[in-house]
Amino acid sequence: MRRGFPWARHALLILVSLVMLLPFYWVIKTALTNENIYAYPPRLLPLDPHLFNFVDVWYLIPFPRYLFNSVLVSLMAVAGNVVFNAMAAYALTRPFLGKRLVIVLLLSCTLIPFQATIIPAYLITAKLGLLNTYLGLALPMLSTIICIFIFKSAFEAVPRSLIDAARIDGLAEWRIILRVLLPLSKPAIATNVILAFIWSWNGFMWPLIVTRDANMQTLPLGLARFLSYMEDTSGALYAFVCMVLAPGILVFLMAQSAFVRGLTHGATKG
Amino acid sequence: MLARRKTRQSLLIVCFLLPSLAIFLLYRVLPLGWNVVLSFQSWSPMRPPRWVGLEHYEEMFLYDDQFWTAFTNTLIWIGAAPIAILLALGIALLVNSDLKGASVYRTIVFLSYPLMTVAVGIVWRWMYDERGGFINWALRSMGIIDKPLGFLQSFDMALPAVIVTDIWQILGFYMIVLLAGLQQIPQHLYEAARVDGVPAWARFWRITLPMLRPSLFLCAVIGLLNSMTSFDLVYVMTNGGPGDATELLITYIYRMGFGQTKFDYAAAVTVVQFALLVGLTVIANRAAGGNAGAVEKD
Repeated sequence: MRRGFPWARHALLILVSLVMLLPFYWVIKTALTNENIYAYPPRLLPLDPHLFNFVDVWYLIPFPRYLFNSVLVSLMAVAGNVVFNAMAAYALTRPFLGKRLVIVLLLSCTLIPFQATIIPAYLITAKLGLLNTYLGLALPMLSTIICIFIFKSAFEAVPRSLIDAARIDGLAEWRIILRVLLPLSKPAIATNVILAFIWSWNGFMWPLIVTRDANMQTLPLGLARFLSYMEDTSGALYAFVCMVLAPGILVFLMAQSAFVRGLTHGATKG
Repeated sequence: MLARRKTRQSLLIVCFLLPSLAIFLLYRVLPLGWNVVLSFQSWSPMRPPRWVGLEHYEEMFLYDDQFWTAFTNTLIWIGAAPIAILLALGIALLVNSDLKGASVYRTIVFLSYPLMTVAVGIVWRWMYDERGGFINWALRSMGIIDKPLGFLQSFDMALPAVIVTDIWQILGFYMIVLLAGLQQIPQHLYEAARVDGVPAWARFWRITLPMLRPSLFLCAVIGLLNSMTSFDLVYVMTNGGPGDATELLITYIYRMGFGQTKFDYAAAVTVVQFALLVGLTVIANRAAGGNAGAVEKD
């Protein structure tokens, strides 16, 4: 496998890459196109490319509102994940009674997909009076088990002597976390931020269930709504798709290694 | 003095664990328990609950054809995962080497995974479109078909078409997991085998595959979970149609619960779905050699 035929491997991989990239090209082409998008045969290159469709999006739907909601909920999820996960992870690095039980409980919780409990989760949120609120949207996503364990292994990699020295110097526990552990765990913070952002930015089913009011909807809901109202008759829909996909792609390309580390954490430790 | 310090310590640990644990209890453990209870009750928002035993399950298993369609479709969906994992394994083997530009290929293959699934669904709806879509255009200009095919409107092709989209999106995730597994395999095993004159295919069967078992198990679990998280894709691309051709258990639960406000019945379907997930995970674990999912030592 190691030697020979590099050109054959390149050819195969280029073919795979083309298949993976083609849908992106097709949707960008459509978003930039000026003509009737249903003309047959479709053009491979956009005729007379322009950005009208992107401007249209701002007039056809309350795009700024969706964007604001999405950003706000994502920020809440990111903040919650970094703070709560770091706290829980620090607690898990200390010895205490029932620690093993807590760890087993957390690990078994990872086997319960959130989608599998959607009905009672909705009823609980209704009981708490959080339907149609930002807190209700963000609450289930404020802490993630896999991210707790990412923080835990980062904290455990910090030399014990350093923590003991800080403690002897009289630093309070929360200051040990802030001043010693977190600055030494920057990759873990990055992984937490990017996973929390991507998960809440892309989330669809939960916002669909929890929000009733169009003013509270996030971008994915806006997309689905746009699709059902306008059908796919205009290039504006595809311009909207591009605008929604762009932040995710950018964040991913900037922090690819942090993202991959988060997703493969279980794989390499397991 | 020491005792006071100790109680303060444990108080601190409790405070630090509390927010996360509260969220998991509220949104994982409690819903799971409530869900099971609800599935044995007759309940709607306006009425007090009444115990009905296995009534919902009886209705579901004996009289509900839609449920069985959704169940079968979910099994087909899960059954497609091994194909995707094999594809990903091929790509991972191609990329995992000193090949120039390997990281570029890796990024491209992985790029589709972190994207918003709703948007991916809309993109692929457009790819499948009868007039403006790339796929119909390509098939027609190559002369394979002479009339456009309505992939998502066809009873036979809608489910495979949505599954292809799903594979397109999740392929990169499988690849990343398998790559991580490949990089864990000690190189000296291969060197020793090469010195002994073991041919390449035997090295793959005897070293790579057995060493890759934990990663393959993880991929299988991801594939199982994927059948439940694919709600977004189905909702946008076909909304379960045409007829029930692309209805999955998760979309059926949504339709029963939030479309027809039969929360109790939807809860019973959820229990079946969860049992399916746990059962298949246990089988996958056995196949991977028993302890692939073991709790990590601390």
